[in-house]
Amino acid sequence: MLQYLVKRLLFAVPTLLAVLTVVFFIARILPGDPAQVILGEQASAEAIQALRLRLGLERPLIQQYAGFMAGALTGDWGSSMVTGRPVLGEVLNVIPYTIELTAASVILGAIIGIPLGVWSALHRNRLIDYVTRIGSLLGLSFPAFVMAIMLLLVFAIQLSWFPVISSGGSGSLGVRLQHLALPAINLGIIMAAYITRVTRSSMLEVLGEDYIRTAHAKGVPALAVVWRHSLRNALIPVVTVVGLYLGILIGNSVLTEIVFNRPGLGKLIVGALTQRDYTMLQGLMVVYTFVIVVVNLLTDLTYGMIDPRVKYQ
Amino acid sequence: MSKRIVTAALLAGAATLALGSFAGQAWAEKKVLNYGMATKDVGRLDPHMTATTPDKALLQMIFSGLVRFKPGTISPELIEPDLAEKWTSSADGKEWTFNLRKGVKCHDGNEFTSADVVYSLKRAADSKTSQFASDYKDFDKVEAPDASTVKVTLKNPIPSLLGMVANLHGGNMVCMKAAEAAGENFKLKPIGTGPFVFKEYKPQQSVTLVANPDYFRGRPKLDTIEYKFIESDASRDLAFAAGELDLIYGKQDETWVERTKKVKGAVVAVIEPGELSSIYLNIKHEILKDIRVRKAIAHAIDRKAMVQLKGASTAREAKSIVPIGYLGYAEDVPLLPYDPEKSKALLKEAGYPNGFTLKVIHTNLSGMLPTMQAWQAMLKKVGINLEIDVVEHATFHAQIRKDLSPIVHYAAARFPVADIYLTQFFHSRSIVNTPTAVTNFTHCDQADAEIDAARVEPDPAKAKALWRTAQVKLMDAVCAVPSHEQLSVFGYHDDFVLGYDLKGSLSLGPMITEQSHFK
Repeated sequence: MLQYLVKRLLFAVPTLLAVLTVVFFIARILPGDPAQVILGEQASAEAIQALRLRLGLERPLIQQYAGFMAGALTGDWGSSMVTGRPVLGEVLNVIPYTIELTAASVILGAIIGIPLGVWSALHRNRLIDYVTRIGSLLGLSFPAFVMAIMLLLVFAIQLSWFPVISSGGSGSLGVRLQHLALPAINLGIIMAAYITRVTRSSMLEVLGEDYIRTAHAKGVPALAVVWRHSLRNALIPVVTVVGLYLGILIGNSVLTEIVFNRPGLGKLIVGALTQRDYTMLQGLMVVYTFVIVVVNLLTDLTYGMIDPRVKYQ
Repeated sequence: MSKRIVTAALLAGAATLALGSFAGQAWAEKKVLNYGMATKDVGRLDPHMTATTPDKALLQMIFSGLVRFKPGTISPELIEPDLAEKWTSSADGKEWTFNLRKGVKCHDGNEFTSADVVYSLKRAADSKTSQFASDYKDFDKVEAPDASTVKVTLKNPIPSLLGMVANLHGGNMVCMKAAEAAGENFKLKPIGTGPFVFKEYKPQQSVTLVANPDYFRGRPKLDTIEYKFIESDASRDLAFAAGELDLIYGKQDETWVERTKKVKGAVVAVIEPGELSSIYLNIKHEILKDIRVRKAIAHAIDRKAMVQLKGASTAREAKSIVPIGYLGYAEDVPLLPYDPEKSKALLKEAGYPNGFTLKVIHTNLSGMLPTMQAWQAMLKKVGINLEIDVVEHATFHAQIRKDLSPIVHYAAARFPVADIYLTQFFHSRSIVNTPTAVTNFTHCDQADAEIDAARVEPDPAKAKALWRTAQVKLMDAVCAVPSHEQLSVFGYHDDFVLGYDLKGSLSLGPMITEQSHFK
């Protein structure tokens, strides 16, 4: 097991290096200049040139690349070109918010999605099944930012249950949860829609298996058939989808972060991209790649928890 | 319940209700101002190193100048004492002496003296520490004969000198000891002499300022300013309606103004300076080099329609290539009128009876793209087909500076003296893709002599005459087609009192002074 973990993490190293190389060069191929962004539109070409020199952007590309790689490997991520604040500090500042939001929406998605998917599968082609399927389709196709505004209008403005500016809250657990609620519901609904659909189709497949019929025939209680025999076997594809979606969610939460005014990695990366903040962009890519690697690893480990036949070698 | 949700969808109605329920809680004496700014985050909090609106609107509360624009105004003629009590200049305009207020304290407790002024102005003039260094290239010497006197010697007289030591850009006075001690980190902990003191920065969330108890005009009536970064227009509006924000940056469009006015107790302030939107024509381009073509473009632009499109509350027709109200702006130089027939005739005369197609580069920025699209539709009517290559904003800025677009739409407000606008957009020194480039996309150089002469002309009347001639020449050559000007808008609740009459702000955000308070 430990050997497996180490092997997987070692495999991540070449991936990380490849991603960093691609990001480094793509950022520099993009038109647009961090010096221009920093100095503003009134800056003269001379001033921009002077700043490019100071930022080291005038050094040969390969030299910049070597410097960057050396820094990345030794843990020195440099400072944001635009704000001058250390990249690592900026990332560490917002990561708790991103983890909090992602975890909350996945939990919410699973709590809603799994039972709904099971229920829908058990009532295949009955009214309840249709309603669930249409509902989950709506959840998937509704743009997150529209739903966000609607949630704000109803729960923050009309009912005043939650604040509009869900900046994370720094007080008690209660305040934090209050700030987390609407953004988590917003992303949780989308997550739930995914999970419902996958759970349903996976359950339908399992419910048609011979061993389920056998279980019914030998008189196992219906509930035990559903929970122990069917769901457990149906969960592997669900975990795969959650794992895949988790990676997407961390990047996709940017619109939710913007509308609810929550700090987060999504906002940081969009900001870095529009400002051509190379150092920040590079640092964030390390984080993202790492997150994806870890999420994939966790997904694989979860398979083993669900299905003892899965072996790690 | 369903009725409720329907109501909720109507933003204005919902907003009014929410405000009613919040009003009761807010009435106890309020000392914290929640200011909502449209930004993801702030940048470098160093007044000499930033020119963005969200940064400037914040820094103006932390720093002071030797002089200041009277709060709420942007006219250089209404400049008043700030850190300097009085000042004199020599007859030839080359020597300026400023007498400082005594007993002023920096936010770190040190006394503010002439040494800080010398340090600040040198810092502002050094391209390593300031992005406004080129503004100060005519500064020869800055000296401190004693602790409360500063003498500035210029290489050439600068009529707008006071603007350069005012509370804007390089004129902001930093405190020497704090700046030297902090070095590169000054931008993370700015220290000045203004009414509010920098306390805390929360990434992607807010900056907290607290009252400066030693402020030289007296302790501010507010205790705290929470300067919150709220990028989404919709969220800012909702938070304002819910009473979570007291003052917000508005959206420059009619629907925003109308909607915000409906929020109970809301005040909408439309403030100067106007951002002038012009179409800059590259006169060296193979088609545009023919003045008849440029005139045809000018005759095809309907300025009235542009104002209708943008909304009469926040937009007005442009009158010149220099924004309205700037010192030296010529209001009596007529612009070519909207006349599509004449435009077609001119095109025919120039050899384009069926018009022509031109590829231009433009930004995807939501405030700027519709403007270009409106012009595209107007030009289409006379047979000119603009193919707009829409790119992301930073790319747009990079590409137009490489001279890649024969027609450039640019909207800008500058220090309100004709010199800056004329120099940056029409002086040959500023032509794009050259080492001294700024934003002259037109390649025009017809008024170089007048622009240069006006800058060093000590007699204000003569300077104005020179700027007028420059505008006439450049407009005769149809270097640019001015279209409309857009003003900034802010919303605040009527329980908040700014303490002055808000007509404008060069920082593009209302100044919160020691007098600002809640009723």
